[in-house]
Amino acid sequence: MTVVIGFEGSANKIGVGIIRDGEVLSNPRRTYITPPGQGFMPSDTARHHRAVILTVLKEALEEAGLKPADIDCVAYTKGPGMGAPLVTVAIVARTVAQLWGKPLLGVNHCIGHIEMGRLITKASNPTVLYVSGGNTQVIAYSERRYRIFGETIDIAVGNCLDRFARVIKISNDPSPGYNIEQMAKTGTQYVELPYTVKGMDVSFSGILSYIEETVFAMLVEITERAMAHCSSQEVLIVGGVGCNLRLQEMMGVMCEERGAKLFATDDRFCIDNGAMIAQAGWEMFQSGQVTELEDSWITQR
Amino acid sequence: MATGGDSNLEAGKLEFSLDVPFPSSHEALIALRSLSPDQEPRRGGISKQLSVSGSTLRWSADEARILRVSVSSFLDHLSLVIETMEMFGPSLLCDAAQVC
Repeated sequence: MTVVIGFEGSANKIGVGIIRDGEVLSNPRRTYITPPGQGFMPSDTARHHRAVILTVLKEALEEAGLKPADIDCVAYTKGPGMGAPLVTVAIVARTVAQLWGKPLLGVNHCIGHIEMGRLITKASNPTVLYVSGGNTQVIAYSERRYRIFGETIDIAVGNCLDRFARVIKISNDPSPGYNIEQMAKTGTQYVELPYTVKGMDVSFSGILSYIEETVFAMLVEITERAMAHCSSQEVLIVGGVGCNLRLQEMMGVMCEERGAKLFATDDRFCIDNGAMIAQAGWEMFQSGQVTELEDSWITQR
Repeated sequence: MATGGDSNLEAGKLEFSLDVPFPSSHEALIALRSLSPDQEPRRGGISKQLSVSGSTLRWSADEARILRVSVSSFLDHLSLVIETMEMFGPSLLCDAAQVC
């Protein structure tokens, strides 16, 4: 029986999760939400995480009904992500690992998403579409490594949506992407050009539907191409943008046409959380990997 | 109790050193190992040295421009380490209400 505690704080979510052999015992999380029109900056985000991390850690232990002595190893996000928040979280992970005398595991954030997706959905060897505010990649496992088959050449799709939400000042609560999705659902008019003016009024839901349809179609295309390349019959969507039901719907249509299966998780696990870091840490621990303190520096890339 | 900084103008460099006493060398070493792995955000011009002698954590840096930011950030991180130790480390202050 192996119990792993995972710490995640690479962007604006701070989460601590505990996993025991594939069972999520607790997974509390807090989100740093900025006012409409504003994104989140590294030092403010780090300050937010700093203020709540010990409380969230306590919650994780209490919800799981465990004491530090019950934990076998401490996993944390080594990278990629924003520097200041990563350091804040890494410092707490290193400290408790030493206080409790447990090995430390530096986890790759993207692999955390993938391992959680696989655990929850039981997909066996899927082509993975990883879409979030910070990442957009099509990934497949080949010859003992996760390999990137395709990715954004500039910004992540979530970043695109978030920036657009900022321009038109959509609320960031609970997340800009969620609010875009809700508003886009009410759009009835698909417009070729993203410019809708009705007299003295403007309509935004049409623009958002347009944006969603276009960017999601792009993602479906590259996922399909990777599947053809790998002869894969499974797709797993992970990352915050993976919560979007329209994306899942469009991907589902493509999968059905190919006779493939689509896997996705809900917002507990799509969105950054501590348990996914614990799960990836568990996999590392099982294969005998640990991270020495001197090598536990965080990395933005 | 932390002592403040000195500015020794030697060959145009500024120095800041901070002595932080800990209850024992065990705690000082934990703090050192939690605070030393990460690189300073800006390259060139700032050098930071953390070491433990006895139960004191000694920190010194040279380079005026980003010295203040580096010191400030270090103190935030140090206080986080100490708070974590108080909350989750075994100690005489631990009572039944805390998880430790």
